[in-house]
Amino acid sequence: MNQPAEREFIELEAPLSGDFQAVVRLIIGGIAERVDFAFEEIDDLQLAVERLLAEAGQVGSVSLSFEIVEDGIRARVGPLSTSAIAEALADGDGRPGVLTLRRILQTVVDSFGVETVDDGRVVVRLVKRKGIA
Amino acid sequence: MNVPQRRNDVSGEKAREEDRELLRRYHDRGDMTAREELIERHLPLVRSLARRYAGRGEALEDIEQVGAIGLIKAIDRFELAREVSLATYATPNVVGEIKRHFRDKGWAIRVPRALQELNASMSGAIERLTARLGRSPSIGEIAEELKTSPEEVLEAMEVGSAYSTVSLSTGPGGEEDLDPLETIGGEDEGFERSEQRAALEPALDRLPPREREILRMRFEEGLPQTQIAQRVGLSQMHVSRLIRKSLQVMREELLRIPPGAAG
Repeated sequence: MNQPAEREFIELEAPLSGDFQAVVRLIIGGIAERVDFAFEEIDDLQLAVERLLAEAGQVGSVSLSFEIVEDGIRARVGPLSTSAIAEALADGDGRPGVLTLRRILQTVVDSFGVETVDDGRVVVRLVKRKGIA
Repeated sequence: MNVPQRRNDVSGEKAREEDRELLRRYHDRGDMTAREELIERHLPLVRSLARRYAGRGEALEDIEQVGAIGLIKAIDRFELAREVSLATYATPNVVGEIKRHFRDKGWAIRVPRALQELNASMSGAIERLTARLGRSPSIGEIAEELKTSPEEVLEAMEVGSAYSTVSLSTGPGGEEDLDPLETIGGEDEGFERSEQRAALEPALDRLPPREREILRMRFEEGLPQTQIAQRVGLSQMHVSRLIRKSLQVMREELLRIPPGAAG
């Protein structure tokens, strides 16, 4: 389909309320469709964002940005509460066997990272590449 | 040979005794295997109750999953001093959980019929394309197959994944014409192996065996949805939905488990 020739960037702010999760998913689907992601890859990226937002709670809003790059999509989600995300992204040593957000992200995206922003909260970066299982 | 009626009475009495012994092992000694066994023993009750709520715009398997949460709560909260059987105690818990689920999701039933139908046919299209292409299809390819626009495909995906308004037994064509119940019974036995592994995981423990196995395959083995779908005999869309719902249920359950109660 459309091969992005230049940097393409989409940014939105959405309420954290569960009512809008389907809208966020739909937008992610629309963006991923533009770069010809497979059904499964779209589902993975949607799941990653959905699980992050679930950890962020139901109050306030969150910024989401998506940059279309040559081989996929780079997403940024945040700022999010540091305590909620830090615990969820811990490697689970303290809770053996529990399926952590870290494990989920490791499975569904190609890479992810956390950066602290001005007010001490964090932004989670996700990279999902096309054509990598 | 004795008449069946008498035999049923005896086995009912025996089953109640066995339940009480298992409840004792779980509540007095923290034996999680006993808890597992109780869940297994009463899943047919959950299925039977869930069936009453089928055809209301929610996939039967999803209703069963919600009902199973009610069962687990009943097992966890059961007090041994009670004179009632577990089945009697669990029934209102299971029904209550299902009703609450419908109340919470009730608004979703207003999804346009055209989208519901598109969603129902999408699953079959994805399976056909996956087989034909040897990979997961793109949205554009699905749209072409169904002679619609990519935007409509995306919307229809949401109908299925977020709201589950389409009953899996109503779709035209494809494997999802199968009654989900036909596949459940056989699968549960095959998942016994993973149940033991899952016993350490308090939130995973709250899920039915098949959902646990799907999560294990996805997040432990790292299998893609296409392969999981083949292994468990469901469509990719269905697997996707079960993963999403299971993670949601797990998170909700995890928040409810008091610290130190996981052992």
